[in-house]
Amino acid sequence: MAKEKIPRQPMPEQAPEDRARNFEEVPYGYSEQTAILEAGRCLKCKKPKCVAGCPVGIDIPGFIALVQEGKFIEAAWKVKEQNALPAVCGRVCPQEEQCEKLCVLGVKGEPVAIGRLERFVADYERNSGKISVPKIPPKTGKHVAIVGAGPAGLTVAGDMIKRGHDVTVFEALQEPGGVLTYGIPEFRLPKTIVQAEVNYLKRLGVRFVMDFVVGRNSTIRELMDDEGYNAVFIGSGAGLPSFMRVPGENLVGVYSANEYLTRSNLMKAYLFPAYDTPPIKRQRVAVIGGGNVAMDSARTALRLGADVTIVYRRAREQMPARDEEIHHAEQEGVKLKLLNNPTRVIGDDRHRVVAMECIKMELGEPDDSGRRRPIPVEGSEFIMELDTVIVAIGNKPNPLIPQTMPELETTRWGTIVVDESTMATSVPGVYAGGDIVSGAATVILAMGQGRIAAASMHKYLNGAQPK
Amino acid sequence: MKLTIDGKSVIAKEGQTVLECALNNDISIPHLCTHSQLSAFGACRLCLVEIDGIRGYPTSCTTPAADAMVVRTDTQALQNLRRNILALMMLEHPSACLVCSRRELCEQFRPEAERTGRTTGCHTCSNKEICEVRALSEELGFAELPVPPAYHERPVERSEPFMDRDLNLCILCGRCVRICKHHQGRAVIDFVGRGSQTHIGQAFGNSLLDAGCQFCGACVDVCPTGSLADRYAKWYGRPEAVAESTCIFCDHACALALGTKNGKVTAAQAVDENVPVCVLGRFAVPEFLNGTDRLSTPHMRVGQRLRQIPWEQALEMVAGKLRQFAGDGFALVCDTTSTLEDRHIFKKFTNEVMKSTNYIEIEPDAHGVSRGSLPAGTKAALLTGNFVDLAALKELGLSIVQDCYPTPVSQRADVVLPAAVLAEVEGTILDRSGRKRPLHKACEPPGQAKPEWWIICRLAEAMGAEGFEYESAEAISKELRISNAQLWVDRVEAPPAATDFKLRRTHFRGHRIDEKVRGLRELPVEDPCALEPAQEKHEGAFGILEKHEIAPNVHEIIIQAPEVAKKALPGQFVIAMVDEKSERVPYTLCGWDAQAGTITLVVLEKGQSSRKLILLSAGDKLVHVVGPLGVPLDIELYGTVVLAAGCYGIGGIVPIVEAMKDAGNRVVVVTEARSHYLHYYKKKLQGLCDEFVETTIDGSVGVKGHAIDAIAEKLKAGEKMDCVIAVGCPFMMMVTAQETKPFGVKTLAALNPIMLDGTGMCGACRVTVGNQTKFACVDGPFFDAHLIDWDELRDRRAAYSAQEIHSLGRTEAVVTGHSGGSGCKCLH
Repeated sequence: MAKEKIPRQPMPEQAPEDRARNFEEVPYGYSEQTAILEAGRCLKCKKPKCVAGCPVGIDIPGFIALVQEGKFIEAAWKVKEQNALPAVCGRVCPQEEQCEKLCVLGVKGEPVAIGRLERFVADYERNSGKISVPKIPPKTGKHVAIVGAGPAGLTVAGDMIKRGHDVTVFEALQEPGGVLTYGIPEFRLPKTIVQAEVNYLKRLGVRFVMDFVVGRNSTIRELMDDEGYNAVFIGSGAGLPSFMRVPGENLVGVYSANEYLTRSNLMKAYLFPAYDTPPIKRQRVAVIGGGNVAMDSARTALRLGADVTIVYRRAREQMPARDEEIHHAEQEGVKLKLLNNPTRVIGDDRHRVVAMECIKMELGEPDDSGRRRPIPVEGSEFIMELDTVIVAIGNKPNPLIPQTMPELETTRWGTIVVDESTMATSVPGVYAGGDIVSGAATVILAMGQGRIAAASMHKYLNGAQPK
Repeated sequence: MKLTIDGKSVIAKEGQTVLECALNNDISIPHLCTHSQLSAFGACRLCLVEIDGIRGYPTSCTTPAADAMVVRTDTQALQNLRRNILALMMLEHPSACLVCSRRELCEQFRPEAERTGRTTGCHTCSNKEICEVRALSEELGFAELPVPPAYHERPVERSEPFMDRDLNLCILCGRCVRICKHHQGRAVIDFVGRGSQTHIGQAFGNSLLDAGCQFCGACVDVCPTGSLADRYAKWYGRPEAVAESTCIFCDHACALALGTKNGKVTAAQAVDENVPVCVLGRFAVPEFLNGTDRLSTPHMRVGQRLRQIPWEQALEMVAGKLRQFAGDGFALVCDTTSTLEDRHIFKKFTNEVMKSTNYIEIEPDAHGVSRGSLPAGTKAALLTGNFVDLAALKELGLSIVQDCYPTPVSQRADVVLPAAVLAEVEGTILDRSGRKRPLHKACEPPGQAKPEWWIICRLAEAMGAEGFEYESAEAISKELRISNAQLWVDRVEAPPAATDFKLRRTHFRGHRIDEKVRGLRELPVEDPCALEPAQEKHEGAFGILEKHEIAPNVHEIIIQAPEVAKKALPGQFVIAMVDEKSERVPYTLCGWDAQAGTITLVVLEKGQSSRKLILLSAGDKLVHVVGPLGVPLDIELYGTVVLAAGCYGIGGIVPIVEAMKDAGNRVVVVTEARSHYLHYYKKKLQGLCDEFVETTIDGSVGVKGHAIDAIAEKLKAGEKMDCVIAVGCPFMMMVTAQETKPFGVKTLAALNPIMLDGTGMCGACRVTVGNQTKFACVDGPFFDAHLIDWDELRDRRAAYSAQEIHSLGRTEAVVTGHSGGSGCKCLH
């Protein structure tokens, strides 16, 4: 078993001391040699378990075999058969929870670094300039409208255009990408990559309409009845930030993670004054929450020069963020204040944040999510002096589309009700996926739902009468 | 000479005027055109007095004091005369704020001046805190305008380097004209035109640059109003402190008074008011010091990268490495813009610690260029500026750069140490005739940057050397027996560059000054190597069809935006971006034509983003316009609906008036403005509503006061109102809400907080309404005005004020390819 002797290949990355002050991407990616070495570790199982762990069903052993042969471009094409955004997924997917978790090598040792290899082949293809454009079948004459140019929408767009349908993506912001553009920071996902993925879709023939708010500029009903769209996919995301509902939350200096990250990522505030949107450059920042968004916010604040503490109400084991993200954040100098919960934010006479009061927590019985419920320790309140609070405790679905389409069935949390096997909503021809369905989840889960939705939309369009 | 002023016996010196004598004796006489640096002029006539034996009211500034004169300065008759004179002056100056009945409340609610393009009142004036006219009006108790004021509608001039001119504020005191002649010896600017058209300008309508302006800034310094302003400094407001130091951009060593605010130098002026300094001394220092790319932390090379490290580590590391290079293999290169104290330490360090003879001191040439080379065989070098070619670095085993800005050399160095410069340090320099001139610290250096003597002393200590235990520049001066360094304030002649800017230096320690100070790029130099300004062209889809300045600062813009026009409803707004680098800024929809696919915005120029928008002209394009956004206003039959509108809100209410009227309401429109010339859309609104009332703060037309004063009057008279809707600035809406509350009238206000996406995604626009958090973009913009937390709204709107001042302060001249740019003349 010579293969097992090759250790899992680490990915070189910027030293924490350097990267904590710049917005460049943290890992450098594999070299060709390292990629071949890592690919060589794959056992090429006859019944690969890894594929089952992939929400979009990539032929993982297939593409890894091509990497091992040095056929990097072909490997990229293999991945792209199932995944429209491999350079993105190779970076932001929680592989340790999915494909890599099921890898047989992982039982006794370390799993194959599937994510790093995916990233490698996607980057290789992009940098080579030899981006393949698959042959598009003859046009079906059917029109598909996609609401939101985020990961779910982009996936559906890619799948539907490849099936011969006309695809139009409507996006409210000025740039496509959704959370990939406004949410995930440059140092974790360079925006040129998102741009390249979108350009690829454009080359396939997808039409992008920016600055268009479905629900305001047109309702879904109007898109279907007046504009001639035969099917609609709603991927409008979880666009309404939750706040803590504690006193002082509207003070100057309290931000939703959405605002904080959007300023930096979409509006490029970190390049102020070359860009007009001012950044939030402060001294002492607390980020509330324990998810990936909290990590992104904390690491962005650090890069803008702040002293950053993450305040989370449960223990480290319960943090929903990827281990790698927590690890990266800590390496860079972000402090964790676990089992603490804010009780109020304190301001000065000009409504500017000067401090935050927190209370200590302890863990009780497990709650609905299966995690132990945090309980406040009475009388344990204390004050943290700071000038900025970033609230990263999740998002609610954006209500605009359900509000303007009463016949669309929604849950009491405002998410759209779908048949999970088809992603079809209560309205014929209308499908939904991503955070507008699942609340707030991951990029790849949204993409997986997008793939399911595309497949069933295709079936629906083939059966339905064209207008 | 002995004379009596207001019953007080005083002594006058030979040649003194009555005014000078009075002021010398702490007797105040109001005056404006007089200035300590200028000879008497007698233009403003405010300083008139009564003198026994002289008929009428002579001006004290032109009347020589004489023995046994009996002077009265404060009689009732004089007071009345002065008030009338001031009132006449105020008829051609935006004076509404001076007679406003809510002045105190306004000052309290919004103490900072609003950063508009044109100044239409004290509240939008950058000069507000130091305005002499304002001070005088307070002194004289001025509260009423005899007749409506005039507004000359002169374009705001902001395409010249460094200076903005808004001659609509000018009171023709002539100080600028006189100081210019005094300093430059010729008339760059003068009174132009006759009678009511008289204004300050250049001959033949030339630009300042073409007219031979040298940008000494003296005219700005003497202007008693906000007419002339230093573009960089203007919005910072009055300095908190002023420190005097010596300019080291060249060896003329002019004495500068440096104004600081929040620890930053924001303005510089000549200490000696009688002799001008050059454009570098007057305008370049703050921008050079406050550059965003200043070196601010020590860096050490690790592989390909410069890594930030703490000072202690940096010094220890450099010390360790330098030990291997003792002897003539080490060279230290500096130039004579470093202080005597710094250079003493440099030399001592090179000779005693490094045991090297290679201490190299460069004398900058006439352009300020300091170029040197390293002696053959140099293995390690410490450079205190951008002095050597990049190629020289290749031969070195160790390169240390100690500097204020990054350069190609510092990018390739092994160690980069951030140095404090100019007004950030103490010390002594020699001027061109060898006299000692002091540097005094006016502000903190950026980040962890340190004085140069400090860096080398601590380095020497880290290497174990003795004799470097200095803790201040003063300690070094003492050892060098430097004493008697005096600021150069008694000079006879101005430095040559003050009267010919082409003679100014272009470089400081190897850095091009015009790379850091944008305005300089417009000014030719003797040795032309000016940078090409980067022209960015943005392609957008949203074309501007028409654009007019319909009132000062208020621009009506018609934009092609069919998707918006198709769905727009009263009360909604759009978010616009002028180019891909712009902010996303909300603007109220003031009209639309679904068939033509156009929308109308009424935009008030205030701050950076709206300024960018109004600088576009018909034919230009915006890159993004998204909308309609926000919940449309509920249009129903209320009965009598009263719309209160101010500034951009006068445009904003148009669709609401139409819809409310269509719904069968009796619609009353009340518009407010500071003065009559700020009103617009009067005919349009009169044609749409049942009753139209105009109000002005100065009473120049319609009801005197704010919109609420007209409304309150009606309410008190028992008129029935079912709904009041206020659209305008927060202050106006707040005042409206406060005063309709006692009458129990339903009142709505259209809120305008900072927004980002406008679709509910970011929460930047949070407002507190009735103790609940609302998002103005998706829950608003209309809310119950009686429940809004106005103070919170105000403070959230001002959250980025400091950054905006910084961004407005980049002294970029506005490029005006069309008349609209500087305020087009197509008013009304």
